[in-house]
Amino acid sequence: MKKLLLDSLSSIRREVVTFSRSQKFYFVILALVIVAIVPLFVNNYTVSEVLTPMLVFAIYASSWNLLASSGQGSLGHAAFLGIGGFVSALVAIKAGVPPIIGLFLGSLLSAAVGFLIGLTCVRLKAWFLAMVTFGFSVIIVTIFSIPELDEFTRAVLGFPTPLIVDRGLPFYYLTLVIAVVSILVMYLVMKSKMGLAFKAIHQNELEAKMVGINTAKYRLIAFVISTFFAGLAGGLYAQSIRYIQVSIFDPYYSFLPLMMAVIGGLGTIEGPIIGAVIIETIESYLPRIDLLLDSLVGREGLIPLFPAVSNVGPPIRFLFLGLFLLVVVIFAPKGVAPLIRKAYNYLRSSPQEEKT
Amino acid sequence: MITSGLIGALLWGVVIGCIYILLATGLNIIFGVMKLVNFAHGQLLMIGAYIAFTVTTALGLNAYLAILVAMGAVALIGVGLERFTFRRVLGTDKLNEIFVSLGLIYVFENVAVLLWGNTPQQISSPLQGLQLSLSQDIAISYDRLSAILIVIVILVALFLLLKKTKIGLAMRATSQKSNASMLMGVNIEKVYIFTFALGAALAGAAGALYGILLPFNPTIGALPTIKAFAIIIIGGLGSIPGAVIGGLLYGIAENTAVYFLGATWQDAIAFALLIIVLVIRPTGIFGEKGE
Repeated sequence: MKKLLLDSLSSIRREVVTFSRSQKFYFVILALVIVAIVPLFVNNYTVSEVLTPMLVFAIYASSWNLLASSGQGSLGHAAFLGIGGFVSALVAIKAGVPPIIGLFLGSLLSAAVGFLIGLTCVRLKAWFLAMVTFGFSVIIVTIFSIPELDEFTRAVLGFPTPLIVDRGLPFYYLTLVIAVVSILVMYLVMKSKMGLAFKAIHQNELEAKMVGINTAKYRLIAFVISTFFAGLAGGLYAQSIRYIQVSIFDPYYSFLPLMMAVIGGLGTIEGPIIGAVIIETIESYLPRIDLLLDSLVGREGLIPLFPAVSNVGPPIRFLFLGLFLLVVVIFAPKGVAPLIRKAYNYLRSSPQEEKT
Repeated sequence: MITSGLIGALLWGVVIGCIYILLATGLNIIFGVMKLVNFAHGQLLMIGAYIAFTVTTALGLNAYLAILVAMGAVALIGVGLERFTFRRVLGTDKLNEIFVSLGLIYVFENVAVLLWGNTPQQISSPLQGLQLSLSQDIAISYDRLSAILIVIVILVALFLLLKKTKIGLAMRATSQKSNASMLMGVNIEKVYIFTFALGAALAGAAGALYGILLPFNPTIGALPTIKAFAIIIIGGLGSIPGAVIGGLLYGIAENTAVYFLGATWQDAIAFALLIIVLVIRPTGIFGEKGE
């Protein structure tokens, strides 16, 4: 009985809510208009500290999502974010390359490293792949910070990045153009025959192999495309915070795109974008939660609650992120995106149902 | 002098290897029976260390008795984890297990920060400062010796549990073929809960020992998980003797490498080893069992 109930529940959960082609088109246009207009009405701080990182992480999370759509969950994507960021800044400083070209050189090198790492990863199963990608990111950060190389990269202390355009609105619109083009390319890849092969490999690698898909080749292609865009996001991220340092390799940046893609909706094109918006909003506005708690219980009320911590903001924020991820994976395995669609359809259909 | 330093590194490698063995064995039992990888296993070690620390400082309990308290408490946490998180995603996409583990890592680490703060702590042991000198300049502290003994006792108890008891039989049957053992009347759900609690208890014991030997903070869990994972891959998925041998080898190899190359390479070496093994044998050295 319980099993039956669970089955029927999960079939409801799996119910696919789709939009027609023209509806989708209008949604995309509407979204583009919103992202183009919104920055004009908010202050400069919000544009450069909240909205621009949102775009950068939308690219980054989409690149992770593309890799995951081929069944490869990387836990070391920060390696490519970091390579993209460092290389794009270093070629601009050391070789005098224009920063915008440096951005693409950084992504190309990131893709080249991704190719090499991908070669070792294509035969691995889910957990092994997760561990190995995590391991590679630790090895790459070690290489970047050994003293002999550090004289050249200055990675440990960091350095300011040469800017392509001014921060604020100009950089926002540049990032917007790059983000739209990148996500469009990833969309086309995922909708193509190649994307279908990725999906087949994700669902059952053995069966995919049996119907004649060269699984190793397609997994490697997914790796290269994904790491190219991760490198691009890295270059843009270094630009957006104007400073690059070895902390860009922190595991936090490896887990971030995973959270964004999973919370938004894994395997969909809009999922990582929605996830990036949600997480970046949490990251930007939840740090002030300690002020909120202060005003609720007062400074004196807060100290006996958590006597060991001086600043409760960051741990509460991360705790919230972790719980959010757990709740989404357990209760809404398809992420938030389908819920939004369902809510929209519910709002649209309920008046009609009342009539009949 | 070089030799005595090296012997010291080797001895410490054996001691730290013992802690890795406990962690790896727990991870391995869970994997063997449930085909589940809990990447948040090292966070259970960290929680175990904090629980032992709290009972020794607040209640004045002997540090070695606190190990039992930590095992019990972390086992209870394990029951909750299995029941409310992992069971929900078991049998769905393999990536979901990784996502759940990641969420748990965030939850555990930040709960620990909120409860105990960021400053490093260490459990004070009754044997602190006492050491046994083996020769003129080689000595080993009694804390380290008793850690080795405790790990041996736990492993023997675990072996007896798996080989001589009914639940051990059920676990072994489930690890071989869960459907068939279900048909033979094994209550799989109970076996899963027991297995997860057992693995968590081992992590709790490892944590308490870690806390006695080394200072710890809320973020110590991440690297031991990865090392335990490397040990399992070296020693063989689902094989407990493999985890014991792998753990000792790993602890010794890591400390000799640090002795010769310097501490900056410590973590990178672990991964280089792991990657080399996986490139040669994508399913691990004894990996036939891993699907």
